[in-house]
Amino acid sequence: MGTAVTTLIKDSPPDAPERRPGPPAAVRRRGRRENLAGYLFMSPWIAGFLLLTAGPMAASLYFAFTDYNLFSSPRWIGLDNFTRMFEDPRWQKSVEVTAKYVVVGTPLKLLLALGVALLLAQSRRGQAFYRAAFYAPSLIGASVSVGFVWRALFSDEAVVDRTQSFLGWDVGGWVGNPDWVLYSLVALTVWQFGAPMVIFLAGLKQVPKELYEAAEVDGAGPFRRFWSITLPMLSPVLFFNVLLETIHSFQIFGSAYVVSNATCGPADATLVYTCYLYQKGFKEAQMGFASAMAWMLLLAVALVTAVLFWSQKRWVHYEEAAR
Amino acid sequence: MRENGSVERRTVLRAAGASVAALGLAATAGCGGDGGGAGDGSVELRFAWWGAEERAKRINKSVALFEKKYPRIKVKTDFQDYVAFWEKFQTQAAGGNPPDVFQNAVTFLRKYDKRGVLLDLKSQVDAGNLNLDNFRAGVEKVGQVDGKQLGVPVGSNTMSLVIDEKVFDKAGIKPEQGWTWDEYFAALKKIHDTQKVAGDTGYFGIMYLYDLFLRQNGKAFFTEDGLGFAEADLTEWWTDAYNRVKAGIITDPKKIEQLKPKSALASGDAGSEFTWDNFTVRYATEGDSSYGLAPIPTTDGKETGQYLSSLMLSASARTKHPKEAAQFIDFMVHDPEVGRIMGYDRGILATTEQFDAYRPADASSKAIAQYEEDVAAAGVLGAITPHPAGADTVEAAFLRIAGDMSQGKTKVSDAVKQFFSEAKTALAA
Repeated sequence: MGTAVTTLIKDSPPDAPERRPGPPAAVRRRGRRENLAGYLFMSPWIAGFLLLTAGPMAASLYFAFTDYNLFSSPRWIGLDNFTRMFEDPRWQKSVEVTAKYVVVGTPLKLLLALGVALLLAQSRRGQAFYRAAFYAPSLIGASVSVGFVWRALFSDEAVVDRTQSFLGWDVGGWVGNPDWVLYSLVALTVWQFGAPMVIFLAGLKQVPKELYEAAEVDGAGPFRRFWSITLPMLSPVLFFNVLLETIHSFQIFGSAYVVSNATCGPADATLVYTCYLYQKGFKEAQMGFASAMAWMLLLAVALVTAVLFWSQKRWVHYEEAAR
Repeated sequence: MRENGSVERRTVLRAAGASVAALGLAATAGCGGDGGGAGDGSVELRFAWWGAEERAKRINKSVALFEKKYPRIKVKTDFQDYVAFWEKFQTQAAGGNPPDVFQNAVTFLRKYDKRGVLLDLKSQVDAGNLNLDNFRAGVEKVGQVDGKQLGVPVGSNTMSLVIDEKVFDKAGIKPEQGWTWDEYFAALKKIHDTQKVAGDTGYFGIMYLYDLFLRQNGKAFFTEDGLGFAEADLTEWWTDAYNRVKAGIITDPKKIEQLKPKSALASGDAGSEFTWDNFTVRYATEGDSSYGLAPIPTTDGKETGQYLSSLMLSASARTKHPKEAAQFIDFMVHDPEVGRIMGYDRGILATTEQFDAYRPADASSKAIAQYEEDVAAAGVLGAITPHPAGADTVEAAFLRIAGDMSQGKTKVSDAVKQFFSEAKTALAA
């Protein structure tokens, strides 16, 4: 494989090929044969990508501009699905719910991840145990069974309701309350802070000790050290985590579906974008509209990603710049 | 080294080629799997239904009986709950691969007929593979649409009011045939005031109940191709409902939401609930009070708007074995032993052979049979209202938007507008 790649590069030099004589014919033949072998090795993945990813994506792009109910053949309607989307109050609601989930959930999760990572970065006894314990929810959090557990925890007279009532703030179970239920989903994602935490931990280990020592000599307190050393040095990792978690949050589906008992309710309070997409596509058989929604989501995520990349100039310090 | 390398490469290439070929073969084999007919003339039918474990046990027993009588036909079964069943069915049908025989309901007849999914069983009746005689009270008509026989009823049911008898007794209320909505809501208030429990679990989101109310007033929920009522009708229905929720005589919708899939009547959070009479078995299982069936309230003191509906068995228009599918349906609806096994799980047994064969022993089954007898004796049964294509989506939207409205999340006027707009889209699709 390695040889195949190098040969590939050798075969097609990027700068003006006519000035240099090509490799001898025998070598070229051998190169081609090795390329072929390379592609054959990759063929299961290439086939998988074309049949299971690229093909369906191309089809969905076409459906996005059609009226397609799964039974009759798709009818081209241009941009109608997109204009209908903006007039649809439930679509607006789904955008609102998803935006709220992303904007509230992601920062909370990252703050908690960073906080715990800072605590765990200091070496003390039982460190490995704590890391594993905090990481565990990330492994099981996305499962359907945890969704059911969550539904049980946040129902009337369950643990959360009782604790809250005991503290004198009685709102009943969150699951049935349209004003609160989304926060139970936020709690579920924040609880899975272990994955970004591990990445933060790795980032913290990379910060050179001598920077802290020098700062301490200069009389910088813990807060100053965090603000002027840890945060800038950690900013590439922070950027990575923000990007990953934001994109991930936009795609929330399982927890909303399970906690709401497959209704994405009550009163559409957990109608996240993908849940509405699912209802349109598979319950109401409006596959054209659902496809258009999927591409809209892709556009939105791409836009948010682009904004994040653009903003990194202002706050992300790569090591060359820091020194 | 070089020699060695090229040999290896050839071997590897051959191996790669073989694996690609194997993949291709596997894909072909996967496509060929639906024929279901081996060389010895045996035939395999796929049969799918919605329901729970209890129904599955009974159906599997019945299927075993069928396979014994028709050793040439094998029946492969599959079931989900109602919502999951129709999601899966829609995908299968769209892919041209629906089950050969499946459970069906009146809401879906036009939808799937329009899409060419349902087999018109008339031809099989004419061919003598399926017998449409001996159906009780003409219930076989439930499966007829535009002169086609798209489904064969397995059991009849009708909308009813299920009450917590202990609560009603303590409140001193005795529902009688022909009681009015005013009397019904006064009763709910009395239950709320004296028994400190809500009277009803949320009548206002049930499409089939609103249909009865409309029928009492000379309208209906659906016409052949649209809605049979106006925005003003629904505004009144939902405004009253919202006020009743606020007054506490209807269970708090937040509570309902959290109890799902359990019923608030069974959990002791309401005194009554409107539902199909054959569903009542569940309350005795879920709850610990005693539950009974009461008459549907009326507008004029007489008409309840009720009709006999039914779960059905339908066959796929794509089935390769229409004759065997018809024989299977025939067996399932006529065989007396199957009647004894199934009981009233899917409604009062539809054919006289099965009805006469089964003598209910448990109290709730007896009560269901008695209820349908009483309703028939009261002379209030009418003909079923048509369900246009898209009715299933409209029903789901009705329930959902009623829920939003009752939670106070949507103003009644907005909820009504939204329902009419969604219904229009669904019925046009």
